[in-house]
Amino acid sequence: MNKVKNCLKNYKGGILGFALLLFLIGITIYTIIYIPAKERLEWNNPFFWINYPKNAAPDWVNYFLIPFQQQLPEHKIYSKNDAVISSFSQTDFKEVNHTFSYEFAYGQFPSGFSVPYTLEFGEIPPAVEISVKRPDGLEFVIYYNSLDSLPNVRDDIQGKLTNASNQQHEVSQRVFSSSKEVTDSLMEYGDLFNFSLSDLPAEKIVFSETDSNIPLKGSYQFIFTTYAFDSDTILKEINLIIEGKVFGLLGTDEFRRDITFGIMIGTPVALLIGITVASTATTIGLFYGLIAGYKGGKTGTLMVIMIDIFLSIPTMVLFIILSLNFGNSLLFLIGLFVLFGWPGLALINRTFSVQIKNYPYVEASKLMGESDFKVVLRHIIPQLVPFTLANFALAVPAAILAEAALSFLGFGDPSFPTWGQMLQDAHFSSAEILGYWWWILAPGIMISITSMAFILIGRSLEHRAKLSKKQ
Amino acid sequence: MTILFYLIKKVSILILVLIITLLVTIFLLGSTIDKIMVDNIRLQVTNSLSDSISENQRLNQLQDPQERQSIIEKQITIQTKSLGLDEPWYSPKKISNSLIQIATLNLGNSRFFTTNEGSSSVNELILEKLPNTILLFTTSSITVIVIGVILGSYLAKREGKFSDKMVAGLASVSLSVPPWWFSMIMIVLFSYLLQIFPARSTPLIPPGTPGYFVDLLYHMTLPFITMVLIGFASSVYYTKYIVLRVIEEDYIKTLGIIGLPSRKILLKHALKNAGPQLMTMLGIGLTATLGGSILIEEIFDWPGMGNLFYNAIIQNDSPLIIGLVYFFTLLYLLTRLILDLSLSFLDPRIRTGEE
Repeated sequence: MNKVKNCLKNYKGGILGFALLLFLIGITIYTIIYIPAKERLEWNNPFFWINYPKNAAPDWVNYFLIPFQQQLPEHKIYSKNDAVISSFSQTDFKEVNHTFSYEFAYGQFPSGFSVPYTLEFGEIPPAVEISVKRPDGLEFVIYYNSLDSLPNVRDDIQGKLTNASNQQHEVSQRVFSSSKEVTDSLMEYGDLFNFSLSDLPAEKIVFSETDSNIPLKGSYQFIFTTYAFDSDTILKEINLIIEGKVFGLLGTDEFRRDITFGIMIGTPVALLIGITVASTATTIGLFYGLIAGYKGGKTGTLMVIMIDIFLSIPTMVLFIILSLNFGNSLLFLIGLFVLFGWPGLALINRTFSVQIKNYPYVEASKLMGESDFKVVLRHIIPQLVPFTLANFALAVPAAILAEAALSFLGFGDPSFPTWGQMLQDAHFSSAEILGYWWWILAPGIMISITSMAFILIGRSLEHRAKLSKKQ
Repeated sequence: MTILFYLIKKVSILILVLIITLLVTIFLLGSTIDKIMVDNIRLQVTNSLSDSISENQRLNQLQDPQERQSIIEKQITIQTKSLGLDEPWYSPKKISNSLIQIATLNLGNSRFFTTNEGSSSVNELILEKLPNTILLFTTSSITVIVIGVILGSYLAKREGKFSDKMVAGLASVSLSVPPWWFSMIMIVLFSYLLQIFPARSTPLIPPGTPGYFVDLLYHMTLPFITMVLIGFASSVYYTKYIVLRVIEEDYIKTLGIIGLPSRKILLKHALKNAGPQLMTMLGIGLTATLGGSILIEEIFDWPGMGNLFYNAIIQNDSPLIIGLVYFFTLLYLLTRLILDLSLSFLDPRIRTGEE
């Protein structure tokens, strides 16, 4: 009765481990199918992430904030299709308005906004203006730029100027709420507010009540106006991005990267490292231990001393020193973990094979004149298979944890973003001190889940593996 | 006789490992070290020439800058030759020289780091940080073991109960959680959310001032709690496992039949016989945390050797890296040796080599 209970308990752990493993395999398959390899490389490319919010918390945080009326603004991206277009023709110029309506119903200010646009124009450069109509009726002009000083229009980071063929010019710009033009133009409305506007970022002025610096809820209109002086001016692209404080399932980091994306592309890499290292190391360990145990004598002793030497090496220190010179390659890391992973496994297998060697049936078959090779193959290896499987499962987390630790120290392979590297970025940006918990929590939980899955499976395999003395 | 043989075997492996590690380090950093030393000599020669007036006058008489340069170059070659720097780092003579230098703790000067007194000697730098590392890691390891022994031997009697299962689960969890990640979470919890402990564990007042030690202990609290939390579950789990195995033995069962109170059996007989295995557990814990100290100290900014090592790597301070590798390896190997030896005294079967 007790035995059945015990068995069930062991199975329970194994089943949980297996479920976790299936979850990870599911993510891996999804990632491999739906995220092309090219996109995976964009992780370290800041321009790929420019439309994402900075340091945004996961969006489910808002559910916990409902009772406090302090919901965080969501990330909103409006494209050209969302805009209402109206145009007026004056005598000497043409005015085109793109109006975006933004419903603001949150308890906190957004963390900024930006307006990227691409304009095409002919001989005479147009002027652009961005203004905001607030729910209380006030209207602010927050940006005005006549694109006259043509070669020097590269104002912002994105400023790019290309010369089209038929004398058409194209200009791509991005107006950030943090840019000087925006804050400067807002200073002119200082009289409307009952508090000092200096040192306040633009989003805290635009979305603020006039009496005190708290968010003003309601419907806002962002109007992007072009004043064109000829008919060649075309607004090719326009976006309005209201940077939220919550984004996606797991939020974003300091570099605007979507953490969900990072978690997903990290899964196949972690499994690859863990399984490759564990399978290679267990194979080497199995055969080394077998030979050392079966041979015995001087060769055996020498082989054990070799294991002893390997096991006495402070691996972390050596890993660091080696990575310092040869690091930043996934293949190198895998080789390193195999090199220092097998000795422990070899020692276990040696102990077992010494034990099995002395079992009567093995000795009997030896007396019958079976060759050593056959004895090992027929009698010893089959006995060791369950243990080897358990060892394999238990070796996976060791490799994954080691990779995470080395990545955290900055020796990871940048072309394969891993959870350890995400945590390194988080630590470098002082995320733990600034309280960006979502940036730290998710990668660490994934590392733990992966290790846990294999530990649980390994444990339950280990419980069921037993040497049999008869055959 | 056998104990002597055992001792010799252990010590020779220790020395071998030490030499291997150092050779690897020299192999990897040797060329950089040589370049640094030649640069230092160049700086020294130019400085000393411009400092000494007589030399200056002599040099000023030489109007031709090229001639002046050749004198400086000559001085540099003389000095590099006298230090043996003209030979490549891989020449056998050079390697043995470097090995002897390191073994005699002639570790040179750090390039970027100084002690609180302003000395840049690698030895002094390490000796300043070493006590902090030992303080944090031995106290937390010992606490973990003590909790493990107390709770473990208590739980041994309630095998299969809820508390027992919970500890087994916790042990699995703590093995799969990276300790350094857990440290980051602890900082978020205690420094950011609750604001009880400082996030940076380096005391703000300089050492030597009266309140320094108390401040150091206060700053140590968070890393200490973190390491105890991460370690205690598996410690309890293994102690329980060890004690259970001892309790199953016939001699313990006999004591029970005789009528000794179970508490006495546990404390006097079972724990004593579990001693060697508990010792091994302590050893594994200590050596494992020593390697992990690099990350944990860096995260907490604890002023120990691990933190120094991390910063030396970031700054590529080769002399300091070599010195720290030596100290880390030495500390690690000595811990292992002491444990092996005390184990062999506790359990005579080990030193005779019987299986």
